[in-house]
Amino acid sequence: MAYILQTIIDIATGVLEEGLVYAILAFGVYITYKILDFPDLSVDGTFPLGGAVAAVLILKGVNPVLTLLFAFIAGTLAGTLTGIIHVKFKVRDLLSGIIMMTALYSINLRIAGRSNVAIFDKDTIFENAFLKKLVPEAVKPYETLIILLFIALFMKLLLDFYMKTKSGYLLRAVGDNEVLVTSLAKDKGTVKIVGLALANGLVALSGCIYTQKSGFFEISSGTGSIVIGLASVIIGINLFRRKEKVKATTAVIIGTIIYKACVSIAIAIGLSPSDMKLITAVLFLAILILSNDRKRKVNSRA
Amino acid sequence: MKRRIAGMMVFVLMMALLYGCSAGKGDTVTIGIGQYAEHPSLDNCREGFLAGLKSEGYEEGKNLKVEYENAQADNSLAGQIADGFVSKKVDLICAIATPMAQNAYGAAKNTKIPVIFTAVTDPVLAKLANDDKTPAGNVTGTSDKLPVEQQLKMIREILPDAKKIGILYNTSEANSVSAIEEYKALAGNYGFEIVESGITATADIPLATDNLLTKVDCVSNLTDNTVVSSLPVILKKAGEKKIPVFGSEIEQVKKGCLATVGIDYYDLGVKTGKMAAKVLKGEKKASDMNFEIIDQAAFYGNTAAAKDLGIDLPKDLTDSAKEMFDSIAE
Repeated sequence: MAYILQTIIDIATGVLEEGLVYAILAFGVYITYKILDFPDLSVDGTFPLGGAVAAVLILKGVNPVLTLLFAFIAGTLAGTLTGIIHVKFKVRDLLSGIIMMTALYSINLRIAGRSNVAIFDKDTIFENAFLKKLVPEAVKPYETLIILLFIALFMKLLLDFYMKTKSGYLLRAVGDNEVLVTSLAKDKGTVKIVGLALANGLVALSGCIYTQKSGFFEISSGTGSIVIGLASVIIGINLFRRKEKVKATTAVIIGTIIYKACVSIAIAIGLSPSDMKLITAVLFLAILILSNDRKRKVNSRA
Repeated sequence: MKRRIAGMMVFVLMMALLYGCSAGKGDTVTIGIGQYAEHPSLDNCREGFLAGLKSEGYEEGKNLKVEYENAQADNSLAGQIADGFVSKKVDLICAIATPMAQNAYGAAKNTKIPVIFTAVTDPVLAKLANDDKTPAGNVTGTSDKLPVEQQLKMIREILPDAKKIGILYNTSEANSVSAIEEYKALAGNYGFEIVESGITATADIPLATDNLLTKVDCVSNLTDNTVVSSLPVILKKAGEKKIPVFGSEIEQVKKGCLATVGIDYYDLGVKTGKMAAKVLKGEKKASDMNFEIIDQAAFYGNTAAAKDLGIDLPKDLTDSAKEMFDSIAE
């Protein structure tokens, strides 16, 4: 029994770790998809962008903590470009994202130098001399989890704080009521660009952490990121739809963990991996239908 | 309602975990096989691996429990698969192809679980081994590095007048990129020039092939997953222009490539399986064994393809062939 319990704890640790890394990506997707109502596909490119930046800088000997900042900046640049393509050149939202995602594939390869860069033997935010000294042996198995928990909570609080600032307020207004923004004599285009920059910065940050956690950068790691992000956001937001006390950011974190848990369960019960994408799609659709259903009920009641 | 759903989810989770843990310990060893993508060569590798284990006394269903997962070329999924194996404390992880091996190594790094990889072209570049080829940790296995020099020599023997060799490859596959570099470095020694054509997706292949075929005397394949999956398209287009296509391993020759001096992934798997058996028996630790390569690459030819192209394969090559095919497999 103790053996089984330990296994369950280990599996849960793995799921939580994965969930917390991707929660930061989901924050970004939450901003674009939920707040700005902008289906931003650049995410599939900015996630590995963060990874490429991390791998290259770490190989060059840059402090792993600093790479988080650089990855974030790289992501904001990419997001800004997506925004400019959309706002200034009036390209449709979906297409702007696709253009950026496509461009980023080559850019990522250029940055990393090749499609797979390993950093196993280098210091990362999860493995370095400082932590080795600091962390007692008993806590070692949960070291990564604790670090991730810290980062995810920090980003959550930062984002919660940002949403209460003037800039954050405008961001929310653009998605809900564009007229309001214009009436406040603010340029809604600029607000959108800021939102996209912030969102992609978060996604790249997530990619940077992911690469440091797994120990290598792989160009294909971005494929499907947007699906993971969207599924997590939709699960989280719908689960806590009627719980007003739960902040959206909290909901997103929990949504991501649930999504990753579902994948883990699918693997554990031996569902054919070939069916994985179909299962994701069905799960995705089911949640959307369920949430639509609820909306309709609310409407008919009104 | 929500509570019921949540309750159900927890129940499913528990059942799943119990299922996962139901492996009795005792005399049975449990291994996790993680394969990065669905691919005939990698499948051969896996079958060979199990055969290698069997020859050393580990038979599936008897004293061996195998948990097989395929990541469908999804790196995030590969990470979760590796984490899952580590959580279940399998006795050994077999990782097939580079990203899977890196994920497994990363996940098992701080545990005692040994990782045996196969079909990793450059374990040093992937940092699974140190620069002096010793293991980077509790990890070892086999490399599927292409015998590029022997391949070039063979092409020269079959096509004495050819000047340009075309190679299609996916820019996102690390194995291909390093193989291209080796081709370029060695081609001059045999009087060849390499014309490379990088693609990023299966959809690029028809156009890239058309373009490449106007510039080259023959085409040589790598073990590039994207290109190999589209082999029929390439063979058809090349066949129309009577341009020979050389493979990089046995499966490609079966499917109609003219010839190869390549590796047999099944044999590679067998070799890997035997290494794994040593670790399972406790004879050697993974961290004490350097990674291995197939030392003797063999010649494989396809006489049906040769006939279609109007080329005679030199007799000394066909005589030395490990296997000749006289038809083109669909």
